[in-house]
Amino acid sequence: MTFADVGGGALRAALALALWGLLASAYAARERDGRALQSARWSALAAFVLVVAASLSMAAALLAHDFTIRYVALNNALETPAYFSAISLWAALEGSILLWTTILAGAVAYVAWRGTREIPRLATTALAVMFAMLAFFLFLVVSPAADPFVRIDPAPLNGRGPNPLLQDHWLMGLHPPLLYLGYVLFSVPFAYAVASLILGEGGDRWIVATRRSALVAWALLGVGIVAGAWWSYAVLGWGGYWAWDPVENAAIMPWLVATAYLHSVMVEEKRRMLRTWNVALVIGAFALTILGTFLTRSGVVNSVHSFTQSAIGPLLLGYLAAVLAFSVGLLLWRAPRLADSGPVGVPLSREAVFLFQNVLFVAATLTVLLGTLYPLVVEAISGAQLSIGSPYFDRVEVPIALALLFLMGVGPQLPWHGASRATLERQFAAPVVVAGAGALLALAVGLRGAAAVLGYALAAFVVATVAQEVMRGVRARRTLHGETAAGAFVNLFRRSGRRYGGYVVHVGIALIALAVVSSQAQAAEAEATLAPGGSMQVAGRTIVFDGLRDVVDPQRTQVVADLRVLDGGTGAALAPALTYYPNATAGIGSPGIRSTAGDDVYAILAAYDARSRAWATLQVRVIPLVSWLWIGGAIVGLGAVIAALPPGRRHSSAVAAPSGTVASVT
Amino acid sequence: MTARVAIVIGFLAVAAAVIVAGAPRAETPAQRVERIAAELRCPVCQGLSVADSSSDTARAMRALIEERVAQGRTDDEVRDEFRRAYGEWIILSPPLLDARGAVWVLPVVALIAGAVVAWLRLGRTPPVAGSPSPEQLRALREREIAEEAVE
Repeated sequence: MTFADVGGGALRAALALALWGLLASAYAARERDGRALQSARWSALAAFVLVVAASLSMAAALLAHDFTIRYVALNNALETPAYFSAISLWAALEGSILLWTTILAGAVAYVAWRGTREIPRLATTALAVMFAMLAFFLFLVVSPAADPFVRIDPAPLNGRGPNPLLQDHWLMGLHPPLLYLGYVLFSVPFAYAVASLILGEGGDRWIVATRRSALVAWALLGVGIVAGAWWSYAVLGWGGYWAWDPVENAAIMPWLVATAYLHSVMVEEKRRMLRTWNVALVIGAFALTILGTFLTRSGVVNSVHSFTQSAIGPLLLGYLAAVLAFSVGLLLWRAPRLADSGPVGVPLSREAVFLFQNVLFVAATLTVLLGTLYPLVVEAISGAQLSIGSPYFDRVEVPIALALLFLMGVGPQLPWHGASRATLERQFAAPVVVAGAGALLALAVGLRGAAAVLGYALAAFVVATVAQEVMRGVRARRTLHGETAAGAFVNLFRRSGRRYGGYVVHVGIALIALAVVSSQAQAAEAEATLAPGGSMQVAGRTIVFDGLRDVVDPQRTQVVADLRVLDGGTGAALAPALTYYPNATAGIGSPGIRSTAGDDVYAILAAYDARSRAWATLQVRVIPLVSWLWIGGAIVGLGAVIAALPPGRRHSSAVAAPSGTVASVT
Repeated sequence: MTARVAIVIGFLAVAAAVIVAGAPRAETPAQRVERIAAELRCPVCQGLSVADSSSDTARAMRALIEERVAQGRTDDEVRDEFRRAYGEWIILSPPLLDARGAVWVLPVVALIAGAVVAWLRLGRTPPVAGSPSPEQLRALREREIAEEAVE
């Protein structure tokens, strides 16, 4: 038996199980039949095991360089190092869809075993929805559209090797799985929301049941996006990290909508309001994950004309249309049961801030969507080609982002139900003063441009509001429970993780804002053609060029420029390179980066003397604070972990927590 | 009262800093080149601008922009030259006063419409029966903080 036999067979068996599970769980939900549910549970688990087996056989085929499989022949070579062989699992379309299917099968098994024990009927209905999605993706991977195990005969002696850009950096092993986990886990809240609509539940049990999966999906997608930005920065060699490329836009759109959802859901929990809206947001976030896959996997973003080249495009588009028609139809049908009974709140209240925050996030998403699709629509209608890129997105999204930073500071300071003027003044005095200091600091470090200075002021504002809230919480715990300051600080995060974890996320976002402002506004650049021993100046730094050297690896050859940054006498080394892979015509530029907390020195080898290695053209950028972007991303992830962890042991008097977690699940 | 003074001072500091930083300054030729290059697409890259790309084509285009700026051409003249050579596709942001301007107008319309709908969903008075006094609201807030601290 070959890897292809095992993998292909496992996927076909899993498809049969998914279809059976769909029938069994739908029957179980309708007839409240325990035996059918049990059968569906085992189908889910068996399907998951089979899909994992298929993924493992693909990974094994890649590691064993089994070129009888077309996917392996196209994305692997004998010389490919083991790590990059294994992660070639997601180097191209078929493998990516296989990874997606594997994660989805895991989510189905999770709902089958965990969810159905907590809220049997709702979760069983959700399970049927999940099985339907799984069946679609299994259909994709056994159909010619995305079958990863298609054979090639005769098998080539060596494969083509992975796309050069994908075998250049270890981050490639991290960024796609994180993104896919985030994408796929959104299907859990979506399935529960749809199940709730099908059952005609007026309540918000589905929100409580999927709180953690929504948060985890959001966090994984967010960290995956930052990891992608980091990869772009470390590999693509243009000194930037975000280009408003359609692939990036596809990832940020569901994240933006999910961020709106994570906040507006609190209005529903506290005030039983915005129920229709929350369902709509979950449907939107989920639909955008499919749209993103469609945009990036159908080839449509390069040109509408490449749309028909692969069968996957029309299939994904049909799936998206079916999902939207089904879920929006359900929502319209059930909307009367979900209508709000009165106004959401008064203008100066936390619920009002969440409402306006939602408007901004949705507008930001629509802008990205519009800018991404507009060239496609124009081309399809008139045949004219036009571009929409960074200048457009920056101009529209930066003001929205600044407004969101402002609300991010305001929201936690406003109480639910509204505030008196005296409260407002007390709450905002310190943060507004800190914002003023932040603005003056921005001027002092030489930032120019209203948006940049406002960005500093608002980031400082946000950090100040978080600090104030934490101090207030510590004080409250000390007086109420007689804890020490340190104990109260720790318990704040352990016992009220959702709230204070959220604040940690806010700090991470503020750091990202600072990093973006400084790296965009204050990067300095110089280019010079130097002979060995020559030096150049960038932003007060001296960079010395020591010479070129050739490095030959089995899978590639490199021309490396050895540079030193002279500051403080240490002479930190940089090694930008041009890398040549046998399957790429042009050299791939790999930047040399020296990161410190203050700035990065980022060097690119643009050209060199191919004959005698006597000179090299170097581009060097000094980019302030850019490493805080990755640190901010990690802090966002940390905050999400704090918020997602189950709270530590509670005081017996506080079992019936205000948010009603315990009460509404049982 | 002191809180109010602090807020006014903080706001004034932000406003002053923004006005100082946002004041129009004369552009150096290098800044002009950079700005024009940022609005042109690098024709051989995946969606990067000429300013962002280090490809040979982008560097040649940047050199041409430098030359034109040195010759004293206007921004429009430089842009038109590239437009003639590559087509409308080379410009990364669509013009506002044109059929394509919809791409600028729609986000603004969405924002305004969303804000109006949100505003209409808000009540003018607190939704609890009878307006609570500031003292009651403050007591409510204190209780919430206490509850959240042990949540």
